[in-house]
Amino acid sequence: MNPQLEVQLIAVIIAAACALPGVFLVLRRMAMLSDAISHTVLLGIVLAYLISNSLSSPLLFVGAVAMGVITVWLVELISGSGLVREDATIGLVFPALFSLAVLLISHYAGNIHLDTDSVLLGELAFAPFDRIELFGLDLPRALVTGISALTLNTVLLFLFYKELKLATFDPALAATLGFTPTLIHYGLMTSVSLTAVTAFDAVGSILVIALMVAPPATAYLLTDRLPRMIGLSVAIGALAAISGYWFARLFDVSIAGTMATMTGFGFLLSWLFAPRRGIVAQIWQHRAQRERFALQMLTMHLLNHEGTDNASVECHPRHLIEELRWQPAFARTIVRQAEQRGLVQRQGELLRLTEQGRTLAREL
Amino acid sequence: MFPAVEIEDLTVAYSNKPALWDVDLRVPRGVLMAIVGPNGAGKTSLLKATLGLIKPAAGSARILGRPYAQQRHLVAYVPQRNSVDWDFPTTVLDVVMMGRYGHLGWLRRPGRSEREAALAALEQVHLADFAHRQIGQLSGGQQQRVFLARALAQQAEVYFMDEPFQGVDAVTERAIINILRDLRAAGKTVVVVHHDLQTVPEYFDQVALINVRCIAAGPVREVFTEANLRATYGGRMNIFGNSAGGTAPAPSLAPGD
Amino acid sequence: MIELLTDYTLRNVVLGATLLGAISGLLGCFAVLRRQALLGDVMSHAALPGIALAFLLTGQRTTITLLIGAAIAALVAALWLLAITRTTRLKDDTAQAFILAIFFGFGLVLLSHLQRHPNAAQAGLKSFLFGQAAALIERDLWAMLAIGGPALALTLLFWPQIKLITFDPDFARSLGLPVRQFEILLTGVIVAAIVIGLQTVGVVLMSAMLIAPAVAARQWTNRLETMTLLAGGFGALAALIGAWISAIGEGLATGPVIVLTMSGLTVLSLLIAPERGWLWRRLRLARGWKPDDRV
Repeated sequence: MNPQLEVQLIAVIIAAACALPGVFLVLRRMAMLSDAISHTVLLGIVLAYLISNSLSSPLLFVGAVAMGVITVWLVELISGSGLVREDATIGLVFPALFSLAVLLISHYAGNIHLDTDSVLLGELAFAPFDRIELFGLDLPRALVTGISALTLNTVLLFLFYKELKLATFDPALAATLGFTPTLIHYGLMTSVSLTAVTAFDAVGSILVIALMVAPPATAYLLTDRLPRMIGLSVAIGALAAISGYWFARLFDVSIAGTMATMTGFGFLLSWLFAPRRGIVAQIWQHRAQRERFALQMLTMHLLNHEGTDNASVECHPRHLIEELRWQPAFARTIVRQAEQRGLVQRQGELLRLTEQGRTLAREL
Repeated sequence: MFPAVEIEDLTVAYSNKPALWDVDLRVPRGVLMAIVGPNGAGKTSLLKATLGLIKPAAGSARILGRPYAQQRHLVAYVPQRNSVDWDFPTTVLDVVMMGRYGHLGWLRRPGRSEREAALAALEQVHLADFAHRQIGQLSGGQQQRVFLARALAQQAEVYFMDEPFQGVDAVTERAIINILRDLRAAGKTVVVVHHDLQTVPEYFDQVALINVRCIAAGPVREVFTEANLRATYGGRMNIFGNSAGGTAPAPSLAPGD
Repeated sequence: MIELLTDYTLRNVVLGATLLGAISGLLGCFAVLRRQALLGDVMSHAALPGIALAFLLTGQRTTITLLIGAAIAALVAALWLLAITRTTRLKDDTAQAFILAIFFGFGLVLLSHLQRHPNAAQAGLKSFLFGQAAALIERDLWAMLAIGGPALALTLLFWPQIKLITFDPDFARSLGLPVRQFEILLTGVIVAAIVIGLQTVGVVLMSAMLIAPAVAARQWTNRLETMTLLAGGFGALAALIGAWISAIGEGLATGPVIVLTMSGLTVLSLLIAPERGWLWRRLRLARGWKPDDRV
């Protein structure tokens, strides 16, 4: 395999691995925890490095994953005290841990490849040069770790799909059925943290957030069904990875940066043009609904004032303009439509409900 | 003489889902009126639209004959207690003084007269000793009374209250209803979003039954009938029937009216 | 300590950091109390593409140009965030994480593009990531004052209104206050605070300078006025200590040092502040007191 292909393959696999836990982060309203975790795993790596004195020690991986989970635990500990609200707690915990990591790096590990640039950006372009031997195959390390993370996330998803789904949509019910929501929560956070650590080395902390949040957010605008949302997230992430790679090649810029930008671009497209939830569709529906709503309002209004003393005022078309605050042109359109549909009749100056109109108003 | 509140053809919609449909409501001066209806019936929306907090899709509300924007200084408002953060760093006295802000100009700071008005309002709700407490240190009932004191400090003619009896203890409920009666005795008008059907006949003169539409409104004796309640609450009536059937005479008093 | 006053660089560092800490501490209180703590995080990350674009478009490296670019990008991010939560079913947290990652990612694209330019003037742009207090010159201080001064003055001028709107926006609206306009003003004020800190603390960690002083100050007092002043003081103190350490240390990025100092102050406050602090609660429990003496 040539390096180009390898880089793209790594990117796609990491995008898919991130999208899986990302879907549940988005649905559980914990997306900002990905921001926190993807920053603080660095501290775990640094601490483990200082203990083991080796960059290839498995301790680094364990330390980083543990630090991600510790971050979540710290956030819950502090916000659980009632002294600080949860959003402020996230903004308190991760900058502190991240700062510590950055300082430790610049003080103790200035000469190793753990510099702050690669923390934010990753070194995807160099990923093919860091290779390991596996089953007689010579593979990039990032590819192997990426596939492991993806496999693990997929297996976990299949095993605990039902539990995750239940705990996400109805934590109370999940608890009464004996699925401990805390356990599921920390399980998910471990998976997020593990994925972040794996992806972090290759693509940097910012792309980890982008890949975990943006594709699921995009998919959430496109579908209502969880399995489809998961599938779409993976596809969107992969697409952003490949297109991001080629943009980066074309303009000779940061690969991780363009991939993040492409996930944003994908979101922008679906935000504007998603079939039912996009802005354009919303404007379209809004217009149709406004007319239907106005027709209903007209019949309702006439029904309420039928046969009352001031019916001669209330049922006059001019009154609609004054009291219902309709534009004159809009009022004319609505009255005409109501007549065409046989909901109202004109009786001299006044509007009268037909039997059909009366039925409609009563049904509302 | 204009009625205290006059709502005409009020329609409120959230993204085109109607919360209130063409509601007409008239609140005479000097009465205590309850607004009752099931959850999601649009009671709070009615209050908020009347006060211009949300923009109605159609219709209008007048306070003492004029649009709300011109009559702000004659109106006091008690929001739901859980609408604010009670851990906010401020004292009881500070919150009550906020009731005077509407009378302050843009750049004038609250001074001695505002302080005295606030203290007097706190006296009325029996919280004068708590003036310098942080608001989070109060019990739920006391917090509700702080909100009430803030409204009293507004020295208004018409009072709108959103669920003032929600989750308060019996002592506070007594204290609140006494204050409402004092207000009525002083010729003020009070409109209360209310939950507890049982206490409606005891506490209020007038009642409006709301379920997206205004089902009925008027004096409690005439309007608070089983038929109207059934029309308002639909299938949920039996809950009311079980709990209130024996104790509250009013609903069954005038079924034939 | 004498050298603090005589050494030109150190003087700038000390003055700049104190200014930044005080302003972000004061103004950050509103971000925290209005539940917008993470909005600060989003906007400070989002400032990065603004800085890079300002340089790319104007070719100038003057502080004020770059900071204007930063402010515009932060505001665009805040607006898009608002638009997303208003028009979709995505919640705040998702929209925040999304905007943060996308803007920052795009900023990194621009930075990596600039780095491949032969132009040497862009060399300083990278210091916006984690801040470099030692690079502060006198003109930067004036720029900070020019941005922070009006923001502080506006806050002071409308203090009663801002306090009311922060506590109870519905009630404020019922009094006829233009709540929407004030919300825009407050967002603008937070952007100003962020922009001031970018050179010293950097985009990645700037949000901590909005949040941590406010959280620390809240533990010591129950009054907004005292809290705001205390937060300004805490912010200034932490920034001063941090910037000084970083300026005399070798090649330490200033942002992390300041943020760590501030975090230390915050943890201390959460532990030992009278009444609210953890230690006090434990003490009260141990003595068998009730959580508080409610009636």
